[in-house]
Amino acid sequence: MFQYRFLFEQMVRRELRQKYKGSALGVLWYLVNPLVLMGAYALVFSVLLRVADVPHYPLFLLVGLIVWVFFSQALLAAAPSLVTNASLVRKVRFPREAIPASVATVQLVTFLVMLVLVVPVALVVRGSLDPALALLPVIVALLFCFGLGLSLAVAVLHAHYRDVEPVLAAALLPWFFVTPIFLRVEDLPGVESREWLGDLLQWGNPIAPFVDDVRDVLYAGVAPSAGHMAYVAVAGLLALGGGLLLFRRMERDLAVIL
Amino acid sequence: MRSRPSRLLREQRAAPGEVVLEHASRRFHVRRDRSRTLKELVVRRSRGAGEATVDALCDVSLRVEPGEAVGLVGRNGAGKSSTLACLAGIVPLDSGRAECGGRVVTLLELGAGFGEDFSGRENIYLNGALHGFERHEIEARVDDIVAFSELGEFIDLPVKVYSSGMFLRLGFSIAAHLDADVMLIDEILAVGDESFQRKCLARISERMEAGVTMVLVSHDPSAIERVCRRVVVLDAGQVAFDGPVADGLLAYHRLLGVSEGATRSVRPGAGGTLEVSELELLDADGAPRRVFRPGEALRVRMALSSRGPAERVVAALEVRDQRGETCFRTDAAVGSVQGTMEASFAMERLALLGGDYDVAVGAAEQDAPAGAWLDRVARLTVAPVSGGEGVADLRGTWSVANSAAAVPAGRTA
Repeated sequence: MFQYRFLFEQMVRRELRQKYKGSALGVLWYLVNPLVLMGAYALVFSVLLRVADVPHYPLFLLVGLIVWVFFSQALLAAAPSLVTNASLVRKVRFPREAIPASVATVQLVTFLVMLVLVVPVALVVRGSLDPALALLPVIVALLFCFGLGLSLAVAVLHAHYRDVEPVLAAALLPWFFVTPIFLRVEDLPGVESREWLGDLLQWGNPIAPFVDDVRDVLYAGVAPSAGHMAYVAVAGLLALGGGLLLFRRMERDLAVIL
Repeated sequence: MRSRPSRLLREQRAAPGEVVLEHASRRFHVRRDRSRTLKELVVRRSRGAGEATVDALCDVSLRVEPGEAVGLVGRNGAGKSSTLACLAGIVPLDSGRAECGGRVVTLLELGAGFGEDFSGRENIYLNGALHGFERHEIEARVDDIVAFSELGEFIDLPVKVYSSGMFLRLGFSIAAHLDADVMLIDEILAVGDESFQRKCLARISERMEAGVTMVLVSHDPSAIERVCRRVVVLDAGQVAFDGPVADGLLAYHRLLGVSEGATRSVRPGAGGTLEVSELELLDADGAPRRVFRPGEALRVRMALSSRGPAERVVAALEVRDQRGETCFRTDAAVGSVQGTMEASFAMERLALLGGDYDVAVGAAEQDAPAGAWLDRVARLTVAPVSGGEGVADLRGTWSVANSAAAVPAGRTA
């Protein structure tokens, strides 16, 4: 993998170029989506429904949303990536992992740009610089491992079974709503009396701890609990290992089926 | 079902520049080799029913030494491209071993792996990276590549504005300048113009002198002939011939001739009273053949038959090249025909150069309208041999005078 670093760099550049070709605002467009969502949910939950009694609620929302947007966009972009690059797969020998990996990396770049914009805002809003922020790179790296592993998996699965992408697109919408983006799991009114539901939402959804952890260090300025950190470490590495394994097992006949 | 190449075999690594196929087999399933839908996975179909398979390679063994150039020829679907794809490691084998020693550069499709929005120059880096080269290795070659491609200012424009000829120039230039040990090239050169094709072939020869191994797929015998000393003819996934280029191309043309069938009549049904009922191309031994070498004896034998008495009959023979241009035409009075009669046109030494020709014959009464003439066509394939280009062998000899005075200044050739 290491010897193909230059290839990987070139592929990422190609993806970036294709993504932002001919748009004047370029990468800034990817801020529009979470910002619009932030505005809408802030209006609904904090003003209209008044279920969210959270200080600096827009920031709370925004931090969760950028994690979700990275995760979902990486998967949605990676799923068709092998099919889109079929001519490349059929005609040149190179590590095929480079295709979904570069697509996921482009999403990471976008995510990092958003972080660069959100971190100063969070610091200003909170008015203090907490040491917990030092954990952010670790969490982001593990989040990337998680997204990358799943991207590899959905890309190679979609190459074999073409309905993986629509299934994924359909699944992401309910997944979004059960992910604790609007409120922390423990603050959900429906969870108070049913502890098992809270546990399920908290631990049964692998992206939820990532959202919580990023929000802890960025929005609350506190270090996530050790349990949370262990969870994201295991989830990130498991997803990456499993994704790579699945990819290696299923890539053999890619040139034939594409 | 598939046996992976055993670890033992895999460990005998090919030397740099060596190309090895050992008992290589690959079968494609026409129906199954596309992606499935989840529904098909759930409602599992009975395998094998109505499923066509194509044996692209059956037990092919081939060894190419470093620095050697081999032309792969064969009919469409003979397994040429599959062989290249297996050698390149793009398509895995069902059994056997395929290996190229050292660094491999493939040119299997125009513009494969080009970034549409990248400039030509950026694509040089992308393409080099895809073939496993590092930045500094590519950087050292960029100027040569740009110069060879003759793209001029276009090199800094996005490749989406390129014509297919420009794609070819860039793609070939990149492949031909990377420091490969093995180059695998599939029917690519056909796109470029004549002068660029010549330049490509010259560059290929240069690379061969530098010790690069070439495996070239082409339908153009003259390209194969100019580059390769060895030809492998593939037919139905098997090696039909492996040997020197002239014999190989002869074998290839024989293969084509066999499949193209017998002579056919070109005249619509109720032509006239006269027709050519048989047409054969015979060699020196009187045996019918379809493939000849330049300089061989060839006799065109035809049988004329007449439904009624025909007077003052003229038989005609015309040789046309692939573009339909007449290379030669002759006719002769054969007198009156009643029933059947034979006529033949004998050539002591075939004066045509390599290529495919149509030999058309016809017969008519002298005052018949011209359109009713040609009646039956046979395909004649002349195997290419080196020594001349064009259609006819004019059988001249070169001589060169030693004295400078013999050649007036300013006039060459």
